[in-house]
Amino acid sequence: MGYLQAIITGIPMTLLVTVAGFTLGAIGGIPLALARRSRFAVLRIVARTVIEFLRGIPPIVWIFLIYFGIGTGAITISPLGAAIAAFGVISCAYMAEIYRGGLSAIPAGQWEASAALGMGHRDQLSKVVGPQVLRVSIPASATYAIGLLKDSSIAYTVGVQEILFNADMQAKQASDAIVPFLYAALVYVIITIPCAWAARSLDSGLRRKVAR
Amino acid sequence: MTLPATRQSVAIELDSVVKRYGDHTVLDNVSLSVREGEVVAIIGPSGAGKSTLLRCINLLERPDSGRITVAGHAVDAGSEISNKELVAHRRVAGMVFQSFNLFPHLDVLRNISLAQERVLGRSRKDADKRSKELLDRVGLADKAAQYPSRCSGGQQQRIAIARALALEPKVMLFDEPTSALDPELGLEVLAVMRELADEGMTMVVVTHEMQFARDVSDHLVVMVDGAVLEEGPPEEIFSKPGHERTRRFLRAVLER
Amino acid sequence: MSLSDWAENYPALLSGLWVSIRVTALALGIGMPLGLLLALSANSPKKVLRYVTIGVVEIGRGTPALVVLQIVYFGLPTVDVTFSSFFSAAIALALTTAAYTSEILRGGLQAVPSGEVEAASALGMVNRDTLRFIVIPQGVRVAIPPLMGFAVLIFQASSLAYTIALPELMSQAYSTGSSTFRYMSILGLAGLMYAAITIPASWLTGRAERRMARHL
Repeated sequence: MGYLQAIITGIPMTLLVTVAGFTLGAIGGIPLALARRSRFAVLRIVARTVIEFLRGIPPIVWIFLIYFGIGTGAITISPLGAAIAAFGVISCAYMAEIYRGGLSAIPAGQWEASAALGMGHRDQLSKVVGPQVLRVSIPASATYAIGLLKDSSIAYTVGVQEILFNADMQAKQASDAIVPFLYAALVYVIITIPCAWAARSLDSGLRRKVAR
Repeated sequence: MTLPATRQSVAIELDSVVKRYGDHTVLDNVSLSVREGEVVAIIGPSGAGKSTLLRCINLLERPDSGRITVAGHAVDAGSEISNKELVAHRRVAGMVFQSFNLFPHLDVLRNISLAQERVLGRSRKDADKRSKELLDRVGLADKAAQYPSRCSGGQQQRIAIARALALEPKVMLFDEPTSALDPELGLEVLAVMRELADEGMTMVVVTHEMQFARDVSDHLVVMVDGAVLEEGPPEEIFSKPGHERTRRFLRAVLER
Repeated sequence: MSLSDWAENYPALLSGLWVSIRVTALALGIGMPLGLLLALSANSPKKVLRYVTIGVVEIGRGTPALVVLQIVYFGLPTVDVTFSSFFSAAIALALTTAAYTSEILRGGLQAVPSGEVEAASALGMVNRDTLRFIVIPQGVRVAIPPLMGFAVLIFQASSLAYTIALPELMSQAYSTGSSTFRYMSILGLAGLMYAAITIPASWLTGRAERRMARHL
């Protein structure tokens, strides 16, 4: 039973990487999404390229690039900092795409109605359309956050002491190495499944709301 | 008491059929008898249970009580029924749906051939040959290699009729076959159905086409609220409805 | 970042990329058919089978691919089941693939209009035939774009096999980096190689999506 206790001590770190990375993405994704549908073609192309590369290169490569690539230069960077930064920038790209999807789900009538009321583009976006986009984006964001929680296990490769790191430590000293890993799996499943169910019922609930 | 001049045998017999969804009784003790070669039209307001009745005949819906006999094969509501029996029962009752339900990923010929191969055990070659004959019969020989999405609604419904005929059914069931169609496309479907009736096919047609019901059917059934309100020769019911409810319904549909 | 680093080291990375591609292909080749089986039994009318399947799928989706990989490579040998790093990676990714694609395929199967299933049974076709000729061909077709998207993710996930010393692209990059201390340029090149496959692949996925949307 010592295994499970040791593994559980990794939960806060897993949550920290996940929440910090997600928060960075949820904020950074907004300007990126706006740039993605900017009036200026250059901005659009840059935003699109950034998104494609952030999503197209595996997270582990980003973590290593930041930890070893940047970290061996003038600045040093902690494993935790590298992991949060990596998941943060990746999340910016994914969240930008989620916001973009949300934006296209808002009926044109909302833009027209707010324009008819004499609102400027900025007000339309921040007062009328933006809040609706955030609301429509909740289910997809929740699903993404759950995926991110599982991906945060990759942080163990640079030595962040999260769930898998602790399981690995236990396994290295054990003759029954499979057991700590199975416990780790169990912990992830116990955390993610209720979240996934909540996200799904949120999704179908919202879908009903939007459909009517 | 006079017996009909030629006493044909019974093709479909419904005996006190009841169907409920939860508390709601959709079919309330319906009995109906269709003779071989007879064309029966079922009319009535929506929600009267017409479609459910049709779907019970080929057991797409299982009734809660009563007995259903098709071409001598009887099924009691409560009884267990094997897959084999179910298949045998459905083979003799061809079904045509309001929404055609063609298989969109198969070309027209394959739509008609598939069940012949899988259900009748025909070879692909024989099935295709038969399918072509049937397509010719519904006037669509040139559509064999097309996909359903490239055909008009009327053409799709004629293909669906050919598909059902391919299993050589003893009776044909039509569930509002023209309701999803523009009037002029509906006419080409009705023409095929009329031909089929002339050839002596036993047919049960749920329809809103009063003209068709009047001209083609031998027997008219008026359903309201899950029960048969009245039935008889169409001419009689159209000219002298026996119930106020029938009169109101007919006036509503004819004035449209 | 220097081009000479790239010129010197690209053959090692390319050989790693080839391993990444092979392990991905094998994982998808095993995982997707397994996913279809899971999807079918998750739609089964038999209650017990359905719930057991849904449970298995939830566990498979809830467990990070990296953890599955550790279980297969480091865990299974302690119960006397040993695979090479290549097969360990393929099996682990295949299990993850099966869990995820079963959900994708289940969605596809459910998208087949019930009217067609009804028409098939009205024609007297047995359930097995209806599945084989009507539901599966159409359900799989609908699922193709999301399956393509998922395949891209699994290709990326093959980089996790670096942790079990499979000489795929990521481990080649890391070991070259650690011997030359040119992490930035070597990892950068590895990233570009991944991107050279994933970005065109997601364009194709987008195209497939739009085509599908047009046809439905």
